[in-house]
Formats: sequence, structure tokens, C-alpha cells
Amino acid sequence: MIAASLVFVIDDDPSVRSSLKFLLSTVGLQAETFESANSFLRRKAPDIPSCLVLDVRLPGLSGLDFQRELATRNICIPIVFLTGHGDIPMSVRAMKAGAVEFLTKPFRDQDLLDAVRVALDRDRARRKHDKEVADLRQRFDSLTSREQQVVSMVVAGMLNKQIAAELGTAESTVKVQRSRGMEKMQAASLAELIKMIEKVKAPSEKAS
Amino acid sequence: MTAETQSSAQTSEPLDLQMLIETIPAMVVCALPDGSVEFTNRAWQEYTGGSLQQLRGSGWQTAIHPDDVSGFAEEWNASRSSGKPFATEVRMRRADGQYHWFLIRKALAIPPHQGGDSSLRTLIACEDINDRKQAEAKQRQSEIQLQAFFENSPNVIFLKDREGRYLYANREFKRVRHVTTGQINGKTDTELFPTEQASVFQASDRQVLKAGVPIEFEQVTVEEDGRHTRIVQKFPVFNADGEIYGIGGIVTDITERKREEAARLYLEESHRLIVETASDAVVSMDEMGAIRFANPATMRIFGHDPAELIGKPLTVLMPEWMRKLHDGGFRRYLATGQRHINWQGTELTALRKNGEEFPVEVSFGEQTREGHKVFTGFIRDISARKHAEEQLRASERTLRELTETIPQMLWSAEPDGAVDYCNQRALDYTGLSAEQVRGAGWMKTVHRDDIEGMSRAWTVAVSSGEPFQQEFRCLRAADQTYRWCISRALPLRDLSGRILKWFGTVVDLHDWKEAQQALQMIQAELARVSRLTTMGELAASIAHEVNQPLTAVTNNGSACLRLLANRNLNPDVLRRALEEIVADGTRASAVIARIRGFIKKAPVERTELDINKIIQEVLTLAGHELHKNQVVVECQLTNTLPLVRADRIQLQQVLLNLIMNSIEAMAGAPNQSRVLGVESRVDESGDVLVEVRDSGTGLGSEADRLFTPFFTTKANGMGMGLPISRSLIESHGGRLWATANSPHGAVFSFMLPATGESPS
Repeated sequence: MIAASLVFVIDDDPSVRSSLKFLLSTVGLQAETFESANSFLRRKAPDIPSCLVLDVRLPGLSGLDFQRELATRNICIPIVFLTGHGDIPMSVRAMKAGAVEFLTKPFRDQDLLDAVRVALDRDRARRKHDKEVADLRQRFDSLTSREQQVVSMVVAGMLNKQIAAELGTAESTVKVQRSRGMEKMQAASLAELIKMIEKVKAPSEKAS
Repeated sequence: MTAETQSSAQTSEPLDLQMLIETIPAMVVCALPDGSVEFTNRAWQEYTGGSLQQLRGSGWQTAIHPDDVSGFAEEWNASRSSGKPFATEVRMRRADGQYHWFLIRKALAIPPHQGGDSSLRTLIACEDINDRKQAEAKQRQSEIQLQAFFENSPNVIFLKDREGRYLYANREFKRVRHVTTGQINGKTDTELFPTEQASVFQASDRQVLKAGVPIEFEQVTVEEDGRHTRIVQKFPVFNADGEIYGIGGIVTDITERKREEAARLYLEESHRLIVETASDAVVSMDEMGAIRFANPATMRIFGHDPAELIGKPLTVLMPEWMRKLHDGGFRRYLATGQRHINWQGTELTALRKNGEEFPVEVSFGEQTREGHKVFTGFIRDISARKHAEEQLRASERTLRELTETIPQMLWSAEPDGAVDYCNQRALDYTGLSAEQVRGAGWMKTVHRDDIEGMSRAWTVAVSSGEPFQQEFRCLRAADQTYRWCISRALPLRDLSGRILKWFGTVVDLHDWKEAQQALQMIQAELARVSRLTTMGELAASIAHEVNQPLTAVTNNGSACLRLLANRNLNPDVLRRALEEIVADGTRASAVIARIRGFIKKAPVERTELDINKIIQEVLTLAGHELHKNQVVVECQLTNTLPLVRADRIQLQQVLLNLIMNSIEAMAGAPNQSRVLGVESRVDESGDVLVEVRDSGTGLGSEADRLFTPFFTTKANGMGMGLPISRSLIESHGGRLWATANSPHGAVFSFMLPATGESPS
């Protein structure tokens, strides 16, 4: 049902690890288990939709710290948190930091499976989005710097004449550059171009 | 001699010769050269009582004493052959059978006469010398006797001639001078004695010679064995003509006598001094009961001047009521020799001159002097001693009263452990008699289960001399119940350290013990409450610990259900899952059991424990908390620790409390420096020491108040953890304290006495 995806389980308790792996297998989900965050970090992440099932209390590094650490490393993987007991402040912090779900042990199997499914979907969507942005960036990068300037000004809502005046060039030159830009971006309309450029700019803003 | 010759001789004898012989007023025998007798005179025949016929030939020899015959014959033959005069002394038998001594000699040889026998005849005269012989024998006997006296005399006796040459010295002389007769006779004093001494002797000799009468001299000489004093009696010895021909001497060594005399004088003087200076009165009385002597002490003791007592009856020294008794007893003794009182150390009552009666101790001695009995009494004033004795008795009475009235049970025992005294209180308590408690009789009151421990402890104390202390249950007679008592005893020793006696007490501490048990229960309850508090703090960890296996169980169970729903029935997969479920379920229940054990209301039970095991259990219990707080645990446990006698739960509680405190203290510290050190070892005194070290914020200025109840630095703390921990450790005979750790943090240490056993 769900094509090539992978669930990473990090828990210091071997029983919990193996039981989770077993439970996930019953719905056809493949899981890999780790006893600590560090052992997970040592594994090279495969380029397939995946998610993390993480115990909040981990030896060496706590779950929340680990969440922060992943963000710092620019590793975007949806996290389903597990905790020994409901700790509201902790769950709020986790959710704010982008956690998919915060489950209290012992949890209902369906809750976990749902959360994992949501996480994988989210990762899948992110991956799709990331791929589009990467395409657009590639297209945008193929523009000359003058064409990128002109396209950016067009998206900002400036008229050709205004752009020409701004750049100190002829309006006709601006027109040529604009149409070459839209062609390279494969944008059918101005509205489409605007959406495209927004997507190109957004991840880079996020990354900075 | 033949019969023929005899007859011829008889016939041929010239009458004149025969007549001549007959007229000699002596016994005469006319013998032929061969010794045979030709004839004898009438005197001879009358003496011997034999006829001529019988005496002729050799018949006369029958009159000679048989012992003298052979000697006579020898003499005769010797004379005949040599021609020498013949003279010998023999005994001859008289007619009455008695023997008399005779001198027999050849008186006259008669040449042969004509017409007769041509033989030479010899006239033999026999002279009766019996009287002389007897006188001689008597003289000899007398001399021998004298000699014997001289020789056996213990005195030195000697005789010197006028020139001072020794003529005789007796055996004692020779013994004393170490000389023989040959060395003395003919010698003078100059040759026998040192010059000085010799001249003294010679001077006295001259004195005697001059005076012609016996003179006595005293001589003092220094000899090998010391100074000798001698009395020398020298006397002149006269010859028959009344002339002095020598000096006799008799020497008497009076050294010994002198010495004895000196000793006697000394003894008498000593006795006199003793009597004069004695602190006891010495009084003598005669057979009439009159005082004959009283020494100066009599004045001091009785107040009587000794001089004025002389002649007075002894009874003046006695109180009136004793006098008759004394007189009667004394008369009876004189009559029958039966003593009415003991003569040695008898205690009597005496009377002072001032009328005061006082106790005396009297000893008597009896002596007979010139036929009269003298009795001497030694009278000692014992009023001071009596007084002291009375005081001692009073003191003993006071002590006895004290021991009998003191609100304590007291006892004493011989050095061998046999009880010899219990005071009345102890007897009342046990209901036993003084006789019944003696020896080991008191053991009857000891509870059956305590007898062994009690007798062992007492045996150890008695044999080692160590103070005795033992708790035991004692049967109280009043209500016939066994009550907890403690007995303590110390030995009394003499100067050499030898035990003279044991003195002990027994204290009924039943009520106290019950109160203490109640207190212990309260303490245990408080400790339990504290544990519950600790558990509260650990709740999150406990939940986590239980949740982990429960989560696994749920997951596995859910997975199985899903597989069943999908009819995906791989038995291996299902079995593995079910096995895990069972394992996790067991694990969860173990966690719960551990926690229940920790907080349950269990009686305090002390057993011998290996503290390392307790440390590991507590680290497990606190494991999650340590984990959660990123605390690194460094354990240094000594493997061969002796066991400690303790309650497991209480020890766990103390350790958990210390560890939780440490975790909390380190919560604020940076992750990398959160180190909890737990160490166990044996300290210098052989006790078990546990240290819990943290790298936290340290004790700061609050160190002093750490163990104060309700003092806390925690937001939710009750402030009872450390005080309770300390009281728990102290109730085990240990100590708990806090010190600063280096470079920062705190060290909590506790010590427990080791039992001496090692964990197997």
C-alpha cells in the first residue's frame, strides 16, 4: 500500500524497540531501530520518505535536544515522540518544534500507526515540494543575471517602463529579457511566474 | 731324772749342805745341771704342799703356773748354755691351790764333792714376791687411771721440769697444738709457742717456782677461731725429798663459757629492755596471787605506779565482779593444774586505777623459780582496737543497710563466678532465698531462651576479667512474668590485679525496653513515610520503568491481533511475540515488587548483609532518575567487604536518599560534569564505610543545618530525608556525616560496624 518508505525507531529499551518494529511490520511498514540518537546519526539517511519514532528520554541526548540537533543539521525528518508519562510543557515544545505527534506510553496501536502514516505523508509531501523548488531554482539559475533582475522586478509588480528606467535601459530590451526569462522558467502566465519565484525564494530564506 | 739317780742323790747328799739349805729362810731347790731337782728344802715342800718325792726330778715344775712353764724353761736353758745368772719371775702354786709370784734365781753353784756325785749342783732360790707384784700392779693400775684422766681430760695438762722442758703433755695439749709426743717432750715454751706468749708462760712458771704454791693465771690469746680466754692453774711438783722438780699445769678454756655468759647477760638485758619498754603491761605474780613485778607500761595502761603494785593482789587490776572468778580459777589451777581460762590471747576486762573498765587481751606464762611458781601476764589494752572493730562493724552495718535499702538489685560473686550474695531486693524480685541464689542457683530465674547466652557471657567475663553485661529475661516472682533485665558486673581486684570479687547489679528495663520498642516502631513508620516521599519523587521514574515493559506488551499484543485479523498466521512470529509479552509482563511485575518492598510496612529485620549488593539495588532503583539527569555513575566497590548487620530496606532508603540528593544537587550543573561517585571500603578501624560523592552545587553555608529536621533546599522537600537517614544509620550503631567534595560538590559518608563475617 505504501511504497518504499522507512521508519526509524530510537528507544533505549530493547523490548520497546522490537515490539514497535513488529507492530509496524503488521501494516507493511519497514522499520530500523536504534538504541541511541548517535547511532542513528551515524547511519546515512536514504532518499526515501521516512520518519522518526523517538523516545523523549534518551541516553546521552534527550529527545528534544535531538530534535534541535537535527534542525541544526538541516535534517528534515518528521518525528513522532514517545514519552513515559504525559508532560504537557514538554509536548508543547515538541509540537512547536514541528513534531508530528506526542504519544504517551503505552499508546493505542492505531494512534501510533496513524501518527507514523501522517509523518510519512508529510515527509513525502516535503520531498515533492523540495523537488519542485529545486527544479525551479535550477531554471532560475539558468537565467542571466540581468534576466533574473528583470524577472524579480516583474514579480514585484513593476511595469516594463519602470524597469527600463530603473535599469537605465530601453523598454524594448526589457521586454525581450522578460519574455526570455518566462520562457526559461517555463511560466505560461505572469501569475504562474510569480508563484514560481516565491517558491524559489522561500526555501533559501528558510535555510538562512 | 731317773729313779736310780734320785735314790743315789738322796743317799750321797752331804748332810751339811742339806742342813745349810734347810736353814735358809727361803724356798730353795737344789737342781742338777739338767734342771732336774735333787732336793728341795722344807719351806718349799711346805709351800707347795708336795713331798720331796713328788718334787724330785722335774716334778717341782708341776708347781709352776702352766702359763709360766715354757718361759721358765727357756730362761733356764739360756742361762745354762751361756752361764749367765738366771732370774725369772713365775707363779707357783701354793698348797691351798693359790698361785703366788716368785722370783726364781740361781743362788749358788756348788762344786762336786768327793765321794759323791760329780755333777755341778745349783741352788735355786725361790723368793715370794707376791706382795711386791701386787703393789706394782696396783701402782700400774693407778698410773693408767691417772693417765686416762689426763689423756681424756678436755683440759690441757702438762708437766715441765724446773728448766721449763716438757716432761708430759696430754692428748688435748697435742690436739690443740697439733703436735706429737716426740715434738713436745724435752722442748721448752720458746720452741713451742710464739716468743711473746712463751715469755708470758715462762714468767708465770718462774712465779710458781718462786712461790712454791699453785697459782691461777688468766690467759687471753688470739687464735685461728678467734679470741680465747683460758684459766691456767700452775702448781709446783715435789719429789720425795720435798724439792720442786717440775711445774704442772692445767689449762681450762673458758671462751665458750664466757661467750655463753655474755649471751645470757645480753638475753637478760634484752628481756629486761623488752619488758621495760613493752607497750603491753607485764605483770608477774607469785603463788599467793601477789604482784611481784610490774613494768612501766603498767603505769600507762592501768594508771598504777609499778612500785606501789608490788605485793598487792593481782585482783586490783580487775573489776570487782571478776575477782572471785579469778581467785577461784587460780586456786583450782594450783591444786589441779586445770586452767579456767585460755592462757594465750584471752580477752578479759581490766580495771584502771581511776575505776574505768576496759577490754584487754591477756597471755600468761608460768615459770618455776627456786621451787616456787611465778606467773607472768602480758596485758594488752585493746580498747582502741575494739573501738576500731566496732566502727568497722558499724560501717559494715551501714553498707549492708545501704545494699539492702538501695532501690537496685545487687549481687556479688566469688572470683570463680559463684554468686555468694544477693541483696533483699534481688531476692524479693526473684522470690528465691539467699541460699537458693548461691552458686549458679540464680540461673533458675533466667528465661529458657536466654540461659545459654547468659551463662556464656558470664563465663567469658569470669575467665577474662572483662566487665560483664548481659540482657536477659528474668522471672519476676510477683506476677510470674518474664521481664527484660540487664545485669552488669565489675571485678574488684587486689594490688596485684588478682580478682577478689565480682560486684554486680540487675536492672529491670522491661518498661524502658517496651518504650524503646514503641519508639523504634515510630521511627520505622517515620522512615517508611520518608520512603514514600522518596517514592513520590521517583514517581516519574517508576512510571517510566513500568511503562516500558507495558508499552512493549501492548505493542506486541496489538501486532498479534492485527496479524490474526489479517489471517496472517505465522506461528513462529506469533510465538516470538507472545514470549516477549510474557517476558515484559514479568519484568513489569518485578519492578512493582521492588517498589512495594521498598514502601511496604514491614517490621525492622536485621540480617547480615553485603553492602555492595544494597548499593547495586539502589542504583537500579534510581537508575532511571540518574539516566534522566544525565548523571554518570562511577562505582568503586571493594570486593571483600565484611558483612554488616542491618535492615535491608532501611539501608536502601539511606542510600537512595543520598543518591537522590546528589542527583538533585547536580541538576543545575552542566551535563558533562554530572558525576556521582559511590565507593565502599573498610576504614581504619575495620568498619564498613560508604561514600556518595557528587559534583553538584556543594553544601555551601547550609552545611550545619543539613541534618536538622524540616530544613530543606528543595522546592518540594520535606526536610526529613537526611535527619531520618542519620537516625537510621545511628540506630545501626553507625555514623553519617557530610563533607565537601573537591573541586566542588559534596560527599555524604556513613559508617557501619562490621560483623567480622565476609560475604561468601
